[in-house]
Amino acid sequence: MEKFSNRFWFQLHGWFSLPIWIIFCFVCLTGTISVVSHELTWLTNPDSRASNPQNLAQKPISELVSIVKKSHPTADVSLVMTFESYLVNAIIFTDKDKENAIAYINQYTGEIQAINVGITFPGFMGALHGWLLFPWQNSYSVGYYLVCAMAIVMLGALITGLIIYKNFWRAFTQPKLRLKQGKKTILADLHRLAGVWSLWFLLLMSLTGLWYLTQAIMWQNNIEVEPHTHLVKIEQLPQAKEKPPVFPITLTDAFSIAEQKFPDFKGTYIMMPEHNRDTYKLYGSGDFIFYDQYAYGVLINPWTGAIESTRAPNKMTAIQTLSHIADPLHYGTIGGIWTKIIWFVFGVLLTGMSITGFLMWGSRTVKASRN
Amino acid sequence: MTQRRNSLWNRHKYKINGLVLILPFYFLYQSLTPKLPEALNTQKIASFEIAPTPFNMEPPYFHDGHYTKDFMLAFSQGNIKDIRQAYLNIGSKALPFTKLQAGDDGILHGNQHSQEVHAIAPAVIKSKHKLWLTIENWQGERMVTSWDLPKELLQP
Repeated sequence: MEKFSNRFWFQLHGWFSLPIWIIFCFVCLTGTISVVSHELTWLTNPDSRASNPQNLAQKPISELVSIVKKSHPTADVSLVMTFESYLVNAIIFTDKDKENAIAYINQYTGEIQAINVGITFPGFMGALHGWLLFPWQNSYSVGYYLVCAMAIVMLGALITGLIIYKNFWRAFTQPKLRLKQGKKTILADLHRLAGVWSLWFLLLMSLTGLWYLTQAIMWQNNIEVEPHTHLVKIEQLPQAKEKPPVFPITLTDAFSIAEQKFPDFKGTYIMMPEHNRDTYKLYGSGDFIFYDQYAYGVLINPWTGAIESTRAPNKMTAIQTLSHIADPLHYGTIGGIWTKIIWFVFGVLLTGMSITGFLMWGSRTVKASRN
Repeated sequence: MTQRRNSLWNRHKYKINGLVLILPFYFLYQSLTPKLPEALNTQKIASFEIAPTPFNMEPPYFHDGHYTKDFMLAFSQGNIKDIRQAYLNIGSKALPFTKLQAGDDGILHGNQHSQEVHAIAPAVIKSKHKLWLTIENWQGERMVTSWDLPKELLQP
């Protein structure tokens, strides 16, 4: 390390950050908003709130699907998504006059509070943060790579920042924020203080970002992380003389089967069969704290009730584990609303650091040119 | 400290990257006003009337070990529930049904209002190729129809 001067590390720190600071700032800002996008929806859209003044028990998902079908007799439900307990369940369906609609249904009262036929705020923020809305070319998006590349930049800025800032750990024991010694001092103190206190967050965002980059490369090169979707054997499909047959295994049955397999199973992403040789795909969360809400999965044959495939944290490969722990760590969903608030606060700090960093460079440039 | 010139370039060079952020607005506009290619002509097959639309006019892409081209299928007549299984492939002829039903490549899927499909395709679509739809109903009857592909999709 001593072979290189402090000036070299300082310049390298600048090179990691300055040429892309606006994009970096935008990615940090959109990520920060994404963390609390569901809560912002809750605040601004009363239809998204799962009010439960009578303290009713949650209705089974299959019952909620039946309510939507009863209310929209020609609807075809394809997907059910559940979120935090204070948010309604989303039932996605098509209808004669709707290509893709979302029923916001209160899981306690069974009331359909709204039918949404556009993009949702969390969906929009997720796409804006994840790939800057750049289109997907089948298995890759330039925007996704651009956002993932910010992980390299962040890690580089973090390492060089620590080298420049001698005895950085003193910022924990003797935090310094001098507000009366001019703009340059305030900016430098804010930048350093936020940087040191956000060390864990910067490292977490960099490492999960590097995982997303690895995942993007795997997607583009057709390297499968999860096993290929199971196909029901043709011999298991009945022949019918008149009316087309219906699945003997209902969604209620499918849930019973999943809950027998995993007693702690809490369905969060439920896909109906998309064709007659497809399966019910029930994904959910369980009792593993660091895993995402899709860490458990049961694929159920709709004709026989057989479990065709399962997914659980204790059966995952290293790559599958990474893919299921990255999101909770990146978006701070591991401990519900409280960890989301912590992630939001540090997201604000990180966004601010890119701005203070640029302002520090700006004030140095102006001063140097004056001299 | 190195002497820096307070030139226009020096003052604004690190703001140029912000121009990239114009693109999300453009892509948002594009996604809100999608322009799908024109649908192929409607074909009648048994009780169904079907018009496929390619998702785009790009060549087939490689996925899961084979080439694929995505289509949407609009049903103006017939009940999708009457289909036991159906497959779409691009080639000189419809693939044998035993081969098709051995896997889920090219299988029609979706909902009772419309279907989509990742059609089995060659790496390069040529003028001799057509779009082949094979449907099996619940009575075990199999029907095949085909469409000429748009010239923009063909390569010499």
